[in-house]
Amino acid sequence: MKRLLSSVRDGRGFDIVLVAFPLGFLFLMAGLPLLYNVLMSFQEVDMFSLGTFLRPFVGFKNYTDLFAQPETWPILGNTAIFVIGSIAGQFLIGFGLALFFWVNFPGASWLRGLFLVSWVMPGLVVGAIWNWILSGDFGVLNFILKESGIISGNIFWRSDPNYSLYAVIMANVWLGTAFNMILLSVGLASIPGDLYEAAELDGANAWQRFWTITLPMMRSTIGAIIALGLIFTLQQFDLFAAITSGGPNNSSNVTQYWAWDLSFRQYDFAKGATISVIMIVFVMFAAIVYVRSTRHEVRG
Amino acid sequence: MTKQIELSGVNKYYGAFHALKNIELSIEKGTFVALVGPSGCGKSTLLRSLAGLETISSGDLKIAGELMNNVPPRKRDIAMVFQSYALYPHMTVEQNLTYSLRIRGVPKAEAKKAAEEVAATTGLSQLLGRYPRELSGGQRQRVAMSRAIIRHPKAFLFDEPLSNLDAALRVHMRKEIRALHDRLGATSVYVTHDQIEAMTMADHVVVMKDGVIEQQGAPLELYDRPANKFVAGFIGSPAMNFVPATVGEDGRSLAVDVGEKQTILLDRQLEPGRAVIAGLRPEHLHFVEPGQGVFRLPVGVVETTGSATYITTSTAAEVTIVEISRRAVKTGDIIDVSVRPADVHIFDEKTGLRI
Repeated sequence: MKRLLSSVRDGRGFDIVLVAFPLGFLFLMAGLPLLYNVLMSFQEVDMFSLGTFLRPFVGFKNYTDLFAQPETWPILGNTAIFVIGSIAGQFLIGFGLALFFWVNFPGASWLRGLFLVSWVMPGLVVGAIWNWILSGDFGVLNFILKESGIISGNIFWRSDPNYSLYAVIMANVWLGTAFNMILLSVGLASIPGDLYEAAELDGANAWQRFWTITLPMMRSTIGAIIALGLIFTLQQFDLFAAITSGGPNNSSNVTQYWAWDLSFRQYDFAKGATISVIMIVFVMFAAIVYVRSTRHEVRG
Repeated sequence: MTKQIELSGVNKYYGAFHALKNIELSIEKGTFVALVGPSGCGKSTLLRSLAGLETISSGDLKIAGELMNNVPPRKRDIAMVFQSYALYPHMTVEQNLTYSLRIRGVPKAEAKKAAEEVAATTGLSQLLGRYPRELSGGQRQRVAMSRAIIRHPKAFLFDEPLSNLDAALRVHMRKEIRALHDRLGATSVYVTHDQIEAMTMADHVVVMKDGVIEQQGAPLELYDRPANKFVAGFIGSPAMNFVPATVGEDGRSLAVDVGEKQTILLDRQLEPGRAVIAGLRPEHLHFVEPGQGVFRLPVGVVETTGSATYITTSTAAEVTIVEISRRAVKTGDIIDVSVRPADVHIFDEKTGLRI
């Protein structure tokens, strides 16, 4: 007993306690719900069996039923457009801003910090702001587009099925750009300045330096930011709830919003779980890319 | 001899700070020039101005006869070896070497051949496939030099390239760089804060302080006839002893203020009674039999290196003596020391200029 106690205080026992505690926490708070979600996607769940743990096993019936529904493929397509559009927008604008602030003019770091304001705001607030901007009759976006002659009539961004998804993408790009910019700025700052001087003396112009020094040196940062972007956009829920609620007629619905809608509004928990499981596969893929790209960091 | 690099009336300001003051320097093709001076003397600024990494505020900068004041670095055809080596970490040694060729659009096969040739002369043949992080300090140094050599530039610039190496490797690389310079018939400008590096490697040494060239010339010229007290103290190791002195009544002797006033003879005529500073190199002070010397000095600290003994006196103005005879000396002894009149440097007390 005394030996066990001293081992826990200072020895292998202590190490085991240190490992066991976070592992236990993770299993209880993240692992179990995840596994239960997977289990639920293979069960028949209705209002009467909600309270029970073991329900009738139905195999892949939920999956086949899901893909038999007419809205499934369009929603998966919307999700792909949302993810690719958001990541592309956030990354390109974020990288552009990071390069801009890299010039380091007076006040650059201060202004860069100010950009984070958009990122720290709650999604619902961002949604409310964009509701005003996107408003069909008096929104400032329509005003600018009309005044600059790009459109002739008002676009009803949130209620027109052709535009509703892009309305949310715009808001999401605005929300995520600052985070991209900060991570990319950190990546840029970690490139030693003398590499650029050496490349300049070796005859490279600004464009060549960007392609041969900046981009390769940023590879791990870029891999990490795109993987994180995939995770964050697949988590984006608030903006859909605030701006379009997935409508009209599912034209701006995406898997993460649909899963919630099925489970908690239509009480079809099995289908909701099934969509979540499909999303887990994608997120796991992104997580692996993220871990790998941060592990293979290039150091001089 | 053609002038490869010419600087005339070059000034550089950083805001109000005057970093380079009216620099006049001309470097002939094939010479090895060392810029030496204490930190902040402007030697690195001067080198970076040659490279084009800094723009000069006024004056003319010519490379191979062409005015280069506003030419960007990539068009100056100059190669630089950085203190940190600045190797591209994401490229192999071969890619590092061929970078400048690839930028210029040299065909791959040709670039590869050039890299192999250069690697053979610098002993990197076995390492072409490695990344910089897999190399030792000395190997990185060689890659940095090879990257410069492969371009056949108009001039090589070295920015303290040996300061990250250990002492033994530094002495070895010193010879290697000089040998490479001779083999290539290159024009090199080498910045260092180590006067021994400057003296051993260069044909022409430029001593700088506070943005001013204090003196320039062949290494031995600087050693034998330093233009002022600063150069005299900077060149030579251990450093020259400076002691206050007064010219005697006859104008041909010097009353030197070490311990009790002692008199040394001069080989030239000076104004009697003038207050000056006498500069005595430690290696020019020799032990003599008692009564034969010009100095009688009490011994303070004795340091033995084996090849030589460093003796520091316990006088008010400390004097260091380097003695190669192995005569036993210990703290508290009184020694008799002599110096040849020709070896006495005399500087003005106020201006520090050589008299």
